[in-house]
Amino acid sequence: MKNEIAITAFQCKKCGRIHYPFHDRCLECKKSEFEKIKPQGNAKLLTYTAIYNLPWGFEQRFLIIGIAEFENKIKAMGQIKVDSIDDLKLGMKVRPSWESVRVQAGEDVFGLKFEPIG
Amino acid sequence: MRDVAIIGVGMIPFGRRDEDSLLDMLAYASLKALDDAGMGDKTVNAVYVGNMGAGIIQHQTSIASSLVDRLSLLPAAADVVENGPASGGSAVKNGLLAVASGYYDYVLVAGGEKMREITGWRATDFVATMTHPEVEYPYGITLPGMAGMFTQLYMEKYGVTREHLLAVTLKNHEMGALNPYAHVEMLLDRGGIFDSPHAVVNNPVAATPLHLYDLCPVSDGAAAVILCPLEMATKLQKKPPVLIAGFGQATDTHTLQERDDPTDLKAVTLAAQQAFDMAKLKPKDIDVAELHDAFTILEIAESEHIGFFKKGEGGKAAAAGKTRLGGQIPINVSGGLKSRGHPVGATGVAQLVEITFQLRHELPKDRQVKGAKHGFTINFGGFGNNVVSFVLKRTEP
Repeated sequence: MKNEIAITAFQCKKCGRIHYPFHDRCLECKKSEFEKIKPQGNAKLLTYTAIYNLPWGFEQRFLIIGIAEFENKIKAMGQIKVDSIDDLKLGMKVRPSWESVRVQAGEDVFGLKFEPIG
Repeated sequence: MRDVAIIGVGMIPFGRRDEDSLLDMLAYASLKALDDAGMGDKTVNAVYVGNMGAGIIQHQTSIASSLVDRLSLLPAAADVVENGPASGGSAVKNGLLAVASGYYDYVLVAGGEKMREITGWRATDFVATMTHPEVEYPYGITLPGMAGMFTQLYMEKYGVTREHLLAVTLKNHEMGALNPYAHVEMLLDRGGIFDSPHAVVNNPVAATPLHLYDLCPVSDGAAAVILCPLEMATKLQKKPPVLIAGFGQATDTHTLQERDDPTDLKAVTLAAQQAFDMAKLKPKDIDVAELHDAFTILEIAESEHIGFFKKGEGGKAAAAGKTRLGGQIPINVSGGLKSRGHPVGATGVAQLVEITFQLRHELPKDRQVKGAKHGFTINFGGFGNNVVSFVLKRTEP
């Protein structure tokens, strides 16, 4: 079964700026009333990197991580499901999913993953 | 506000210092600074220690209290200042404000970090604790990873190339090889790390598009400065005081993803602008600069955001030799973080030690910027989310 993308972003009711993660006051207009919004649709890959010197807690040889922008303008970091960085291009369309991104103390930690479309 | 001067500096060679504890290193650098200032038995009113990770790495807290005790500076006020890799710069800023306000006369600021006693895995994780705990850290992002994503965008937008990054690496290693305080005193060869078959092995990818030699080393080390009011400095010190003519500090969003333009290092621009305004100087007035080249791309990007070069020109300027000793604006004549090393809490203080050496004209010819009068520093915290900058001025003709 596909997991729901458990991200909540916060859109300022006054100026419309979208925040993810949460801020107590709007980064733009300083007001503090927000509407909770969920990411919609696919996303556009804004930047990415393949990291070869990983922090404690990761066993694999490398990790590919990027930032993508959803169709409703929420921007978020996630791991990217490709074998090689050569399969990626700035601006390409990616499909989001919510999966285990690491294991801590024997427990899965869930987060965003992206996969190129097409 | 009183004018504040650096009247003494001290530093120990950066590197892997298995034989010394963090406190040993802070004490050695502090004693050298006290001696350099000719303090004798004069009372030090307050001590600020820049440190990021003693609580995590050494399982040791309140190290400023330990340092005043170790140095017999009791009952001096003592505080630890933590601002990630800009902890040193922030500690100096706090010392500067305390003296400028008139509250304290003599202040010791020491910065130190001991990072080599843990494995690379742990050190990478320790530094990554600066990232956002919910929307960045869980994914395995590292600071080199942040720099990789930034470089990808900077290359796309401004045409920076690996050749430009290489120019920074080669220059900073060339200068570091001349600096007895540097961690990596090693000249690098273009072929060995860039365009020979061996380069793939010698200089592997670290975080695309950055390679191993685009990254600073993980280091142990400490540095210290003594501050006092300029008017008192002229009566006391053995060496020409160096005026802290300006400082600036600015912040930006914690996450890269929330910046409207992630290639825009707003906090660098603002901190530098504040420092220049306070000093009543402009980028063109600066003779020597120490920038925070934890990654080669940062030296290029910072040189543009500060105003040394226009956006898109910093990489070309580095490749054309404009940032070398004798060039238009010598940058990281110490070897920078890239070669001198980056014990995170020490770096911001070490930058000021280097600029003080430069403005006192006491370095050997092959490292001295001839006739240097004005120096500049950028200490870059997080991934540009908390930046501290200083302008220093020689006080003698």
